[in-house]
Amino acid sequence: MNPYILAILLFGLGLGTTITFASSHWLLAWMGLEMNTLAIIPLMAQHHHPRAVEATTKYFLTQAAAAATLLFASITNAWLTGQWEIQQITHPLPTTMITLALALKIGLAPLHAWLPEVLQGLDLTTGLILSTWQKLAPFALILQIQPSNSTTLIILGLASTLIGGWGGLNQTQLRKILAYSSIAHLGWMILVLQFSPSITLLTLLTYFIMTFSTFLVFKLNKSTNINTLATSWAKAPALTALTPLILLSLGGLPPLTGFMPKWLILQELTKQGLAPTATLAALSALLSLYFYLRLSYAMALTISPNNLTGTTPWRLPSTQLTYPLATSTAMTICLLPLTPAISALLTP
Amino acid sequence: MSLPRITHLPSGRLLSAILHHQRLLPSIIPLTVPKRAVIQGEYRRPGQPRKAKFPWKKINFNFSKGLEGIKKHFTLLKKEFTDRWVGPEGKPIVEHMLEQNRAVWEFRGPESLGEWTVSSDREIGGHSEAYLKLGRNNNTCFLYGTLSSTPPRDGETRYSGYCTMRSKQPLASFDRKKHHDWSSFNTLHLRVRGDGRPWMINISAETYFSHQKDDIYCYFLYTRGGPYWQDVKIPFSKFFLTHRGRIQDDQHPVWLDKVNTIGFTLGDKADGPFQLEIDFIGVCKDYAHTEEFAYEAYKRNPEV
Repeated sequence: MNPYILAILLFGLGLGTTITFASSHWLLAWMGLEMNTLAIIPLMAQHHHPRAVEATTKYFLTQAAAAATLLFASITNAWLTGQWEIQQITHPLPTTMITLALALKIGLAPLHAWLPEVLQGLDLTTGLILSTWQKLAPFALILQIQPSNSTTLIILGLASTLIGGWGGLNQTQLRKILAYSSIAHLGWMILVLQFSPSITLLTLLTYFIMTFSTFLVFKLNKSTNINTLATSWAKAPALTALTPLILLSLGGLPPLTGFMPKWLILQELTKQGLAPTATLAALSALLSLYFYLRLSYAMALTISPNNLTGTTPWRLPSTQLTYPLATSTAMTICLLPLTPAISALLTP
Repeated sequence: MSLPRITHLPSGRLLSAILHHQRLLPSIIPLTVPKRAVIQGEYRRPGQPRKAKFPWKKINFNFSKGLEGIKKHFTLLKKEFTDRWVGPEGKPIVEHMLEQNRAVWEFRGPESLGEWTVSSDREIGGHSEAYLKLGRNNNTCFLYGTLSSTPPRDGETRYSGYCTMRSKQPLASFDRKKHHDWSSFNTLHLRVRGDGRPWMINISAETYFSHQKDDIYCYFLYTRGGPYWQDVKIPFSKFFLTHRGRIQDDQHPVWLDKVNTIGFTLGDKADGPFQLEIDFIGVCKDYAHTEEFAYEAYKRNPEV
């Protein structure tokens, strides 16, 4: 892509999220969200493949519907309460509408159906931007609304963890697996939103680091399905040894970083007297763990059929920068002992 | 209307003729786009019924057939649920990872012919014929017939003489579309015995917009005429994109995770009988084939 156009689009993405972060008026927040949608559309369709165009169209339609609902809800709130402050939204009708609109924006169940297909049609870099950066702005809004509808949030959260777990079970396409993993993680984030927004923020940031590592690993191996992943031992053996740790961190196993948010969420839910919810969420995390384990199994514990009896193929140095991958992998694996410091940082 | 004739018009009519300028230049360009049926032609897609019947006339209420249908669809639905416990596509993950060859269509009995639709230019009024039957010992399929390139006398068709055999779209329970997932493979492997004619293999993938309905990825199949079987291996990177038979400028490789149908077409402008015998159609993974796409696209606005 022309570097000037690429720069404009990336700056537009950054500007949209920043505007939403900095806004206290609903219209400005909506504007930031719309800028994000519009800026990422050319990035998604840049390869002119019919599947990419299909993914772009589906993304645009869902995001536009969500933005329209958001605008409608904020106007309803202005009509009912006479003010446009984001943090002063108290009437249950606009709050519920805004929660559902933002759930559609990020892909929470039961509004998740667009996410696997859209991610499947994109290349890995754009998929990474979609899974990470595009979730920041809606979450900034979600964290600021006073959640008064506890049942809605719990239902959204539990449904997302379950659907994210069940849906990812028989997938062989990596991007669809990451989509379902995103749905499951978002479910965990929403579960604890009304009790402790700082834990939601912590889960979001941990998810970003883990997903960033995973996408970069797949990009380095140029793999989009499980069978191609199985040949990564010949391309980057050290990375193939580390990737199961990244995947297990996504699955939430101690002593890796991914355990930190799950532990804090389960603790908070139990403190609030929602032990059955906590149990159900933990059990549904097992489903997600199954498909992460399956990826680790395919990648590191088995060798795909080949006819190389002993010699390994030429390993050319990768043209991709490995510094971001190295940093995020280190953070994905080693941050659990810093839990107290990180919770202290994020709690206001 | 040509210029000399315009000058003979009285001025009032000339003014109205300028306002209705379509009458002024009728034969050069249509200034409005004609509707899609006119551009794309009304012709019966192969496999569709001959006469357009009213929906209420299509109802054929038969109790036992209805019961059979319900049983079939619910069995398929149950199979879908139970297959999920086994693994992707109903096979354990180990099998999915180890799979390097898969015979997708094998012609071993009369029910295998029901998965294919045969058609020829008879649909548009031509004179070619094409038939499909099982070959010797019920082991192969035999596509045979006669090509005739006499165009139909309808005043607009200029060329004719083709016949084709296309697989039917796989369906899940309750007639929902299912797709072939060939993403673990990269080569098409056929075992055919032709008659020396050049055939074309058409792969149709799942599309989203209605104007992509006729997007087909094609490649050639050159057959030898001999009595010996021919193993043909064509990498999927060689398939190029066409739309309604015309090669497109904006090429891209075929994505194998949602393949709908495969077809064989013969249209080599040679009148006379033809035959093609197919033993099996399979896909395989050739680890030595690393090419992603065989055709490079030229930069449309190169920097000079």
